[in-house]
Amino acid sequence: MTGLGRIGLVAVRELRAERREPDGIVAAVTFIAVLVLLESLVVGPVVARDADIAPALFWIALAFATILATMRSFDRELEDDALEGLVALPGGRDALFGGKVVAIAVVLAIVALVGGLLSLVLLDLPLALPLHLVVVVVLGVVALPPVVVVDVVLALRLRARAALVPILALPVLVPQLVAASRGASAAIAGDAVGALSWAGLLFAFAVVYGVIGLTIVPAAIE
Amino acid sequence: MRPVQASASLRDVTVVFDDRPVLRDVTIDFAPGLTLIRGPNGAGKTTLLRAIAGLVPLARGARAIAADPLFIGQRTMLLRALSARENLTFYRRFRGLSADGVEAALAAWGISARDRDRPVEQLSAGERRRASLARIRTEPLAIMLLDEPFTELDDAASSELRTAIGAARDEGRTVIVATHAHPELDALAGATVGLREGRVIVE
Repeated sequence: MTGLGRIGLVAVRELRAERREPDGIVAAVTFIAVLVLLESLVVGPVVARDADIAPALFWIALAFATILATMRSFDRELEDDALEGLVALPGGRDALFGGKVVAIAVVLAIVALVGGLLSLVLLDLPLALPLHLVVVVVLGVVALPPVVVVDVVLALRLRARAALVPILALPVLVPQLVAASRGASAAIAGDAVGALSWAGLLFAFAVVYGVIGLTIVPAAIE
Repeated sequence: MRPVQASASLRDVTVVFDDRPVLRDVTIDFAPGLTLIRGPNGAGKTTLLRAIAGLVPLARGARAIAADPLFIGQRTMLLRALSARENLTFYRRFRGLSADGVEAALAAWGISARDRDRPVEQLSAGERRRASLARIRTEPLAIMLLDEPFTELDDAASSELRTAIGAARDEGRTVIVATHAHPELDALAGATVGLREGRVIVE
């Protein structure tokens, strides 16, 4: 069994559990749907359609959805020591981070799809470069989970982790949120070069935090 | 996967949690066969098993183990929302084994066909424990570490577990069981380690 194979097994196990017990994804989808609905009521329809406002709110919602989904995932693992069962396996520590990131990125992609479609339809956003927007969203969805998974692992044995994880994660997520929001704004406004530049930055964040996670999570989980 | 002769050892091992030593200068060699870890609550039995499994950092000392062990802790280590069959299949696949034998192992431990596919949180505590112990059969590794494995088991399942432990011992596997009760295991054991306040008092 290769390292990638093990990561795939952990991801499939996670997604299977999420499908059976979709509390996290339902909460995240509901949260982003309510946010989109409230957005135009709170800031008014003209401002809500602004190419800078809608993406910013969308990505803030996705950041919270990432934290929610990751916390749910690890809460399930801690029950009955399933997490210890995994890390006791040969290669389990190494596969944990990759498997969780892949699975949470898939969950986040579903949330982003629902939230994105709602934003486009309900806010009637004029979208100039849809393919560029897809690239930004895909890379944004990949860039958020590594940071949050690392933070949740670091706070795993702390009683106050529900409060600590957002406090730890959100400041670190600011660069990713800025890049994702600006990239989406550029795609909506028709700035192809700007959208791809921000997308490239998101890719770099994903790689950097992916490497950090693969390096420190196996040690931190001890 | 055929079990092979294997052993594990701890040398001058000290484990510290929150500035409190839980194991102190423990040196033990584990030979193939059954070794019992005895001691009152808080003696360090669980930490000793977790140290052998490599699940706790050692403040001092060294651990050597001849092969990856099967570690079954005090709790079932089954992921909620998944069935017993899915959990055991995951563990086997992770070790590079096929899913063959999972159904038979669960059946042997008295998990009905219907219960095998129910999410584990819908099973009784005893059923979950039996499903967890079916890993002894689905992951036949050379070294097994069992932490209070009789918890939640009724008399019939306890008897089944004693039989499984005896069979593993007869196959030449290294079986290390931490328990504060079940004196009937003494007859099967090749060695007994007594622990008190993190120190070995009898070997």
